[in-house]
Amino acid sequence: MALTLEIVTPEARVYSDTIDTVVIPTTAGEIGILPGHIALVAQVAEGELRVTKDGKQLILAVGGGFVEIDRDKISVLAEQAINVEKIDVSAVEIALKRAQDALKEKSTLDPAQVESLEGVVRFAFAQLSAKRRGR
Amino acid sequence: MASTRDIRRRIKSVKNTRQITKAMELVAASKMKKAQQAALAGQPYAHLLTNMLAALAPHVSDQLHPFLARRTVKTRGILLITSDKGLCGPLNANLFKLATEIKTPAKFYSIGRKGTQFLARSKRDLVADFPVQDRAPFSEVKVAVEFIAKQYLDGVIDTVEVIFPRFKNTLVQEPVLRPLLPLDNLREYLENSQRHGGVFQPDEANRNQPFEFEPDAKTVLSALLPFYVNREIYQFVLLARASEHSARMVAMKTAKDNATSLVGELTLQYNKARQAAITQEIVEIAAASFSAA
Repeated sequence: MALTLEIVTPEARVYSDTIDTVVIPTTAGEIGILPGHIALVAQVAEGELRVTKDGKQLILAVGGGFVEIDRDKISVLAEQAINVEKIDVSAVEIALKRAQDALKEKSTLDPAQVESLEGVVRFAFAQLSAKRRGR
Repeated sequence: MASTRDIRRRIKSVKNTRQITKAMELVAASKMKKAQQAALAGQPYAHLLTNMLAALAPHVSDQLHPFLARRTVKTRGILLITSDKGLCGPLNANLFKLATEIKTPAKFYSIGRKGTQFLARSKRDLVADFPVQDRAPFSEVKVAVEFIAKQYLDGVIDTVEVIFPRFKNTLVQEPVLRPLLPLDNLREYLENSQRHGGVFQPDEANRNQPFEFEPDAKTVLSALLPFYVNREIYQFVLLARASEHSARMVAMKTAKDNATSLVGELTLQYNKARQAAITQEIVEIAAASFSAA
C-alpha cells in the first residue's frame, strides 16, 4: 500500500502525492517512514526531507514544524519547504548572511526575534546542504 | 421648487462624492485581492493543523498541558478582531452585536481600533488592545496571542474565545464567536461547524490506536499547542482583514452606484426646472407684448 504525503506551509501546499517512502528530519533525529507505520506525532526540525517515489529520490529542504502520521497518511506542517531544484544558492547565502549579522547584536534583540533569526539560519543551512547533496 | 443654481450645486457635490467613493472602491478592491489571497493561502495549513489536533485530542490526557484542561469558568476571555478604519458597511456593527450578547463576566482584548473604541464606549472590561498593521505581520499578532495565553495560564481568564468576521466570499462575511481555549471541546466544536458547512473531515473509522510521540508527548504538546493557538488566531486575523476589505469594497461600490443614480435624478430635476423657467419667461414676454399692443 502506498503512502500519501502532504507538505503544507502557511503560504502554500508545497507537495501532495502518493509516495513509497520518506525520511523526515525530527528534533530527535531522522525518521524513515514505510507503509504500515504506527500513528505518530513528531516535531520536525530544519533539515532535508527525502521522498522516494518510483525509485526516484526527491529532496526538499524544510523549516521547523510538525508531522502527523496516521494510517499511511503523512501530513507535514512546516514553516517553510522548498524543492531542492528551486533553491537559489546565492539568495540563500544572502539571507543567511543577513540573519547572522542581525544575530551578532543578540543583546539588543528580544528572545522571540533571536529565535526566529536562528530559525532562518538553520533553514538556510538545511537548504544549502540539501542542495549540495541533490546535485 | 429649488432654483436651478441650487440643483447645479448639489449635482456637483454628489459628483465629487462619487469620485471619492470610486477611488476608495478601487483601493479597497486591490487590497481585498491581496488580503483574500493571504487568507486563502493560509487555509490548508490551518485546516491540516486543526484536523491534526482534533485527531490527537481524544488520545491525550488533559493533564499533559494546561491548554487542554477544562476548568470552571469564572471569567471568559474574549478577543475581538475588528478593522482599524470605518466605512466598511455593517461589518463591525455585526461583531459588536455578538460582543453585546455576552452577559457573563468577561475580560476583553482587542485587535483593531474600532473594537477598542466600542469596548471603551460600552464600558466593558478592556484589558489590552494591540495595534496590528493592515498587512498583518505574524510577529505583531504573536505579541497579542502570547499576552492572552499568559493571562489564560495565570488564571486571569478561564477561556479564550475570539470574535471575528469569517470571510466566506466577497459578498458574505459572517461574524462568529469561536471558542479556542481550553482545547478539550475542539472536536465537539469542529463536528458542529462541520454540520454548518465547515471543512473538518472526521476519521472514517473510529480509531482506538493511540498516537506515539517523538520524542515524548509532553515535549511535542508543549510546542504544538501554543503554536496552534498562535497560528489559529493569526489565520483569524487574516480572515478578518480579507472580510474588512471585501466589506469596504462592497460598501463603496454601493455608495458609488447610489451617487450615480442620484446624479441622474438631480439632472432630471435640473432640466425640468430649467424648462419651467424658460416657459415662464416666454409666457411673461408674450403677456407683456400682448398688453402693449
